[in-house]
Amino acid sequence: MAARILIVEDSTLVTDAYKVLFEESGYEVSSARTVSEAIEAGLKVPIDLMLLDLRLPDGSGIEVLEALRKDGRLPRATLAMTGDNDAASRRSCLEAGCADVLVKPVPIRDLLRQIERLLA
Amino acid sequence: MSMTDSPGSAGLRERLSALEAQREEAQRTIDELKSRDALKTQFLSNISHDLRTPLAAIITHAEILREGMLGDLNPRQRDSVSGIVNGGQQLIDMIDEILTYVRSASDQVGLIRTEFRITEVVDQVRLLNGALAAKKRLTIERLNGDDLPPVYADRDKLKHVLGNLIGNAIKFTQDGGRIWISLSRRGPDCDELLVEVGDTGRGIAKDHYDLVFREFAQVDSSPSRPHHGTGLGLAIARKLVELHAGRIWVESELGKGSRFFFTLPLNPRRD
Repeated sequence: MAARILIVEDSTLVTDAYKVLFEESGYEVSSARTVSEAIEAGLKVPIDLMLLDLRLPDGSGIEVLEALRKDGRLPRATLAMTGDNDAASRRSCLEAGCADVLVKPVPIRDLLRQIERLLA
Repeated sequence: MSMTDSPGSAGLRERLSALEAQREEAQRTIDELKSRDALKTQFLSNISHDLRTPLAAIITHAEILREGMLGDLNPRQRDSVSGIVNGGQQLIDMIDEILTYVRSASDQVGLIRTEFRITEVVDQVRLLNGALAAKKRLTIERLNGDDLPPVYADRDKLKHVLGNLIGNAIKFTQDGGRIWISLSRRGPDCDELLVEVGDTGRGIAKDHYDLVFREFAQVDSSPSRPHHGTGLGLAIARKLVELHAGRIWVESELGKGSRFFFTLPLNPRRD
């Protein structure tokens, strides 16, 4: 069965681009635009990998991780995405359990390689 | 007649209250300028962030096409799509530069100091710029520095400064030229590290030495100028060096090349 990726990102432009990328690479993809949508999606089905934007309209991406952890429904791996490479937000993401913090736009080869490694 | 009643003291009181009114007026202007500056900083920071998002989508879509994930492209189609990726990436780099500048200008930048060898960072930046330099058949050499003690500084910020100086050297040096990095100790107690980034490029006129470190300043700012950029690179480099209590300057000769220097205290206070 294909691994399941959840894209949490408020820009549909970015989500659409990643959807094409992951679907073409053989993953099953779903998406959420807000913290609350992401929590709902994460609780509904087990997620293998979550691609998590940190700046969401109703809060921070970290809140999604905290909520899913509380319910024991954390994805197998989470990659955070941010618009700027600021050291403080990077640290807080890693502390919250993200495997890595990527700066948008992530070169697609690097992204696919990293996902493959995390799901191996 | 007492002092308070003298005509002279009445004049003095008047003068004092006029001065006080002027001081208050000046303070109001300062407060207003500060709040406008904060607003401008916030605006630039937001707009930089918002520009990245659609650009990220454009670059990702173009990369998907370039990699042939949606079908094979012929060479001309691939070149064209590569142009979209490269142009987008250039815009991202410029936005990053604006963001870094906005942060350093509003004193949001703190130093995260660790101990490391400056030669490692220099070699890393040389490596990162290798492909770009090779395109113009430029050599980037590190002349010395293996015997230097480690520095206690912010590695990423120094990498940024060196990246900027070497990037400029590549940009402004003609094909086949030479770029070098020389590292030495200086000062009466040898307690300062001196970093030199030199090139055999087109050089800078003496009356432009200060201008190049100013925000949004480019020696040639005409629309037809051959090199585009935000004009923030060296202003950022200056701020980052000054955050380390160092200094940055340039010595140059038109047509012969430029040598950019910056210093770093070797034994900064460890809090």
